[in-house]
This record gives sequence, C-alpha cells and structure tokens, in this order.
Amino acid sequence: MAIATQLILNGIIAGAIYALVASGFSLIYSVTKFMHFAHGAVLALGAYLMYSFAVILGLNFWLAILLTLVCSGFAGVVMDQLVYKQLRKRKASGAVLLIASIALMTLITSLILAFWGADVKTVPTVNPVFDFLGARITLTQIIIVVVSVVLLLGLWLLMKKTKLGKAMRAVADNKDVAMTVGINPERIYTYTFIIGSFLAGVAGILIGIEQNLYPQMGLSLVIKGFTGAVIGSLASVPGAVLGSFILGLVENIGIWWLPSGYKDAIAFVLLFIFLLFRPSGLLGVKVREV
Amino acid sequence: MAFINYLIHLAILIGIYSILTVSLNLAVGFTGLLNMGHVGFFGIGAYTSALLSLAGFPIWLSILCGGLLAMISGLLLALPTTRLKGDYLALATLGFTFIMGSVARNWTDVTRGALGIPGIPKIVKGNPEFLVIVLIIAAITYFVFWKISKSRFGKTCEAIRDDELAAKMLGKDTFKHKIAALGISAFFAGIGGALFAHYITFIDPSIFGIGDLILLFSMLIVGGLASVKGSAIGTIILFLLPEPLRFIGFPSSILGPMREIIFALILLLILIYRPKGFFGRVDLA
Amino acid sequence: MISVQKLDKHFGGVYAVHNCTFTVKENTITSIIGPNGAGKTTLFNLICGISKPDGGKIFLRGTEITGLPTHQIARLGISRTFQQAKLFRNMSVKDNLLIAKTASDSEIKEVLKSVHFPLDMNTKASELSYGQMRLVEIARALLKPHKLLMLDEPTAGVNPKVRQELKEILFDLKKKGHTILLIEHDMEFVMSISDDVIVMTQGAVLTRGTPKQVQADKRVLEAYLGK
Repeated sequence: MAIATQLILNGIIAGAIYALVASGFSLIYSVTKFMHFAHGAVLALGAYLMYSFAVILGLNFWLAILLTLVCSGFAGVVMDQLVYKQLRKRKASGAVLLIASIALMTLITSLILAFWGADVKTVPTVNPVFDFLGARITLTQIIIVVVSVVLLLGLWLLMKKTKLGKAMRAVADNKDVAMTVGINPERIYTYTFIIGSFLAGVAGILIGIEQNLYPQMGLSLVIKGFTGAVIGSLASVPGAVLGSFILGLVENIGIWWLPSGYKDAIAFVLLFIFLLFRPSGLLGVKVREV
Repeated sequence: MAFINYLIHLAILIGIYSILTVSLNLAVGFTGLLNMGHVGFFGIGAYTSALLSLAGFPIWLSILCGGLLAMISGLLLALPTTRLKGDYLALATLGFTFIMGSVARNWTDVTRGALGIPGIPKIVKGNPEFLVIVLIIAAITYFVFWKISKSRFGKTCEAIRDDELAAKMLGKDTFKHKIAALGISAFFAGIGGALFAHYITFIDPSIFGIGDLILLFSMLIVGGLASVKGSAIGTIILFLLPEPLRFIGFPSSILGPMREIIFALILLLILIYRPKGFFGRVDLA
Repeated sequence: MISVQKLDKHFGGVYAVHNCTFTVKENTITSIIGPNGAGKTTLFNLICGISKPDGGKIFLRGTEITGLPTHQIARLGISRTFQQAKLFRNMSVKDNLLIAKTASDSEIKEVLKSVHFPLDMNTKASELSYGQMRLVEIARALLKPHKLLMLDEPTAGVNPKVRQELKEILFDLKKKGHTILLIEHDMEFVMSISDDVIVMTQGAVLTRGTPKQVQADKRVLEAYLGK
C-alpha cells in the first residue's frame, strides 16, 4: 500500500515538472504553430544560471531566482527574434522551424557543456523529508507540486481573463483574423515566448534544486514535456498539463514492472504511439493548418 | 608522418559520413520526408554488424546484415509514419531514434548497455587500405543515388515532395514510393554505420545521439537538398571546417562541444540566409 | 462515361453533397455550375477518390470506382486539374509533364503547343505566371492517358486572352473525341462551350439541360441569389 502511494506520489511530482515544461511548450506551439524544441535549452539555461548566481556567485537565494527568471524569459525572446523570426520572414515551414529549433537546442547544450563543464552539479539545500500517507516526500518536492499548481492556475487565469490571454488565443485560433481586429502577431509571439520561457526557467530552477544539473538535462526534459503535451493535446495547454500528469504517473507506476532504465523508453514509446495513432492527443484539439 | 595518418583518418570519416548524407538526401531532399531516424538506422547498422562479427560471422556478411536490418527498420518505420504531416513525421522519426538509443542502453544482455561494445574487428589491418575500401563503397553509394536521381523513380519522388496529391492524380502510388525511399536510404545508412563500427572498433549508445543528427542535417542542407553532388561536397566542407580548431590549441574538453557549436551555427545560418546551400534545388518554404 | 448515383458526403453533420445523381455522356463538354458552397469541388474530390463518400456509387465507363484510392482512379482513366494549379514547383515544365507520361521531347512540345504555352519547356515551374501554370497543368492532364478530363475552374484568375485560348483548346479536344467535365463560375465561358450544364445547389443537382434551357430556368437564378 505504501509502495503504491509512493509511486503515485512520485508520478504526481514528475507530472508537475513535466506540466511546467509542457505548458510552456504547448503555449508556444498553439500560438506560433511550430515545435520549439529549444524550450529545453531555456530550461537548462535556467538551471545553470541559477547555479551560477546562487552557488558560484553566492548571491542571495531569492535574488538569484529573480535574475534567473528574467534571464530565462529574455533568452526565449532572443531565440525568437534572432532565429525564428528570421525564418518566419522567409516563410519557412513548420518543419524547417523544427530543424532550426533542434539546432538551437544543440548549440546551447554545447555552449553549456563548454562553459560549465560536463560534470554533474548540485545546488546544496536543506531538504527535510516528510511522511505523507506512508510515503516519503521532500520539501523541495512539495514546493515543486505547489509552485506548478500555482503557476498553472495563474497561466489559466491569464489565458482566460486577461486581454493578453485573449489576444494570444485569437492569434492561436487564426492569425489573419486576429490581425484584422488590430492584434499585432509579432508582439503576441514575443509575449508568448516570455511567458513560456519563464515557465521553462522555473522548471529548470526546480529541477536544479531537486535533482542535479548536467548539460543534456534540457533535452531529456523537453522530450518528456512534449510527450506529455502530445498525449494530452499539443495545441491545448490544459491538454498538455493533463498529458504530463498522465505521463508522470505511467512512468513511475510502469517501473514497478520494468527495470528502471526503461523509464525514458516509456516516454518515447508513448510519444511514438500517440503521434501515430492519435496525434491530436486525448483531448483532440487540432491545430488549424497555416 | 602523423599528419598523413590524420589526413587518412579524416578522409575515412568523410567517406563514411558522405554515405550517410547522400542517402539521407533521398528521403529528405528528393522525397520531402523529414526523416530524423537516419541516425537510428546508422546505429542499427553499427550494432548489428559489431555483434554479428564478434559472434563469429564473416565481416562482410555482418556489414551486409547491418545494412539489411537497417533497411527493414526503415521500411517498418515508414509504414505508419509516412502519412504524417511534415513536423509530426520529424517528431515521430526522432522518437524512433530515441527509442533505439533507449534499447541500446537497456538491453544489456545483448548490447552491454552504456558500457558499449569494444574490440570490434577491423576489416583490414591498415588504415590506408581501409580508406580505399571506404572510398570505393562511398563511390558506389554516390553512383547508386545519382542513378536514382535521374530515374523515373527519383523524379516521381520529387513530384511527391512538391505536391503529393498532384502526383496521386497522375496515377502514382505515393505510399509505395515513400516507403521505398526510406528503405533504400536506411540500407545505406546501415552500411555506413557498420563501416563506422569496424573502423572505430568501439560503439556505445551515444551513437544514437542528437549531435550527429544536427551534423548530418548541416551537411545535407549546406550541400543542398536534392543534389547528390551537394551532399558529397557538403560532407567534405563541414568535416573540414572545424579541423583548424585542433591546431589552435583548445583543450580537448572544449573541442568536442566547439565542433557541435560550429555545426549548429552553420545549420542555423544556412537555414536563414541561404537555405538552398550550394547546390540545392528545393525551396524550403 | 461517368455515372454518379445518390452520392452523399457530410462533414460534421453538414451535407456537402447530398443524394447527388447524374451521368455524363462520352465526347461531350459538361459544365457544373452553382453558387459557392454548392458542393462542386467536393463532388470532384469524391469522384477522384480524394474524399470518401458516405453513401452512393460512382462508375467510370461501367467500372465502379467508389472509394478506390486516388492513384488507382487516375490510372483507370481520369485526369484532373485543381482550383489552384498544382504544379511541381521545383521541377521544370518538361519534368512536370514527364511525370504524367514518359514522352519524347517532341511529344511534350506538341502538347504544350496545343495549350498555347508560350515559353521554353525547361522553364522552372515556380517561375511561371498564374495563367501559364494553368496551361501547364492542363497540358500535363492531357498528356496523361485518360478517358475523362476534369477541370476545376480552369478560367479562374486568367486574363481574357488565355480564357479565349482555353475555349479554343476545349473545342479542339472535343473534336478529337475527349470527354470533358468542368466546374466553372464564368457564365459566358460555360454557356458558350458546354453541351450540357448541371446546376448544383446545396449539395444536390437542381437541374440540368442545354445552356439555353438552364439560362431560362428561373430556379437557377434563385439558387444564385439565395431565396
């Protein structure tokens, strides 16, 4: 019984992280219509910047977090302006943008490797363990779940209630029509990247604290993130969140039967199956062809 | 003396990678299938040939089996994925590469997992002799794909890339063509992988990595989509470009990532400023 | 030549084509007209196997082709052009035509001449003007062995000179024994070249007859104006 609770709890914690990654990824996909694979790079940057500010430079913890989040949002916008926008101007297809995104991802991962080194790093923290219904959960894990839920709720409120959110949904639905009511798509893209990258930065910080940092962390998390998004529905942020929790649970319950090395394989196989048989995800939201 | 060896080593790698790039072009440049599973085929060829030859099979048979198993995976992968839209196809095939990596890491009974497979037998003792073999196979590959590009099959693949519906309306079985293109392309990737394994004599799951994928796409796009000549030239250029770094005296821990940075940057710059590369015949829009 | 019986196609609860039935005789030029949304292009797509019907049957010279894959239907003898000319952009005009059929240079030159295509056959498709693309698409459809030629709005967006040339081309084809089915909005064009006019509205056949008969039918005007 305790084991089942532990697995489910682990699943929820993993799901919370994946949801943070997936929501940003899905937000960007639904608005800009392409797969921003380099979202993982923003996450990794977030983790490493946090490490640099808090551990190397020894700044105040909260200041480090603030700086990291600002930089993350900024990083996302820079990627959009320098790379994606240039390609958009040249009418590149979604497939080309995906290749460029993978190239960006590789570029930044290698920069991280060159600059910070390949060794695994940790952010030292005080991390008491609690007992919850017979299972163990650490303080940082609790924080992860709480922060994710709060941010995802905030994102939902933003999308539903604010003017910006409505403008983003308009562009997501039909960019040309949105333009006719005076919305500037390029500005909306910028805001989308800021928000999405902010979420990735948060995820990077949380993972950096809870687990450890290594240069390829962005790759592995963006894959989990977009797998979660594909499972729920790539073009729908709530779908992405749902799919992420499902992924987290399936992964952690799955390794009850499979050797733990296959954890990642579970994600890849789910991704593959959904792309082939249900590309619009469980919630079935389709993207209007550009 | 050491410099000659270095040049031979470089030439061998260029030869092997040119086989990969030229074959990738059939799927991507000619048929319009954004196949990110090519690295998966490469790895399958490498592992298959390595394992078979270590189990006692004659080397050339092992290499052939590497190619065949890669081809079969290509055909199987193509079956469900070719009906997907461009970026979804890319993602699904990328997923395939990751799955293969995961299998290599976890099926430890066969692949020895992260430990990799050392001691893979060489085909010939000396590198100069091996270079000759690689160049012959590379030349054969080039010839095969050049012939395909001029053939009816090749032209039909290009038509499918440009407008699949119009091709169907002209009586072409586009599904069969796409499957065949992926299968042929995968076969050669497998051969390339096998040659690689028998040269480096050690392979591990990192062969299924994303870095090599970016390298391949850089070479492909710099050389130019739908140009066999372009793929060969793109391979040469991109391999030679980062080499001067070696002589500037960077520590080797930086060299690896620097190469990847260069490849990624080149790919990005080419995509933005000169998407046709040198000899490309396809508009990327 | 082609017989369509009780064809049905709906998209999410709305009928695009409903209980559509008609026959097209060999060696005629038949035009399908009707207001936007009448289901004309959907009908074409159903005949060509691009869309699968929810009900009904389609016969080509007696052979049932309902639900067959597009490339098979093409091979059974249907050539078709699209509302937006679908050329192979990265290939030359000559290569575009060679996909339709393996042909000698002179055969290609001949078919291009028959559609009054003015440029060299090695011109890249992406460099053509819109009207020239249409001509090449028609030439390609002609080169491909076929029994029935289906043209979807061949005069859309072309200049008056090309439109006149298209009239001559179609008359010529009919003289040579071809059967042509076309969708058109240009009434003058339709009425001057058609043997038969089918009027579609809301997914079904409203009426059919000679151009004169259709022009005199009040219901046709009402269908366009929307009662």
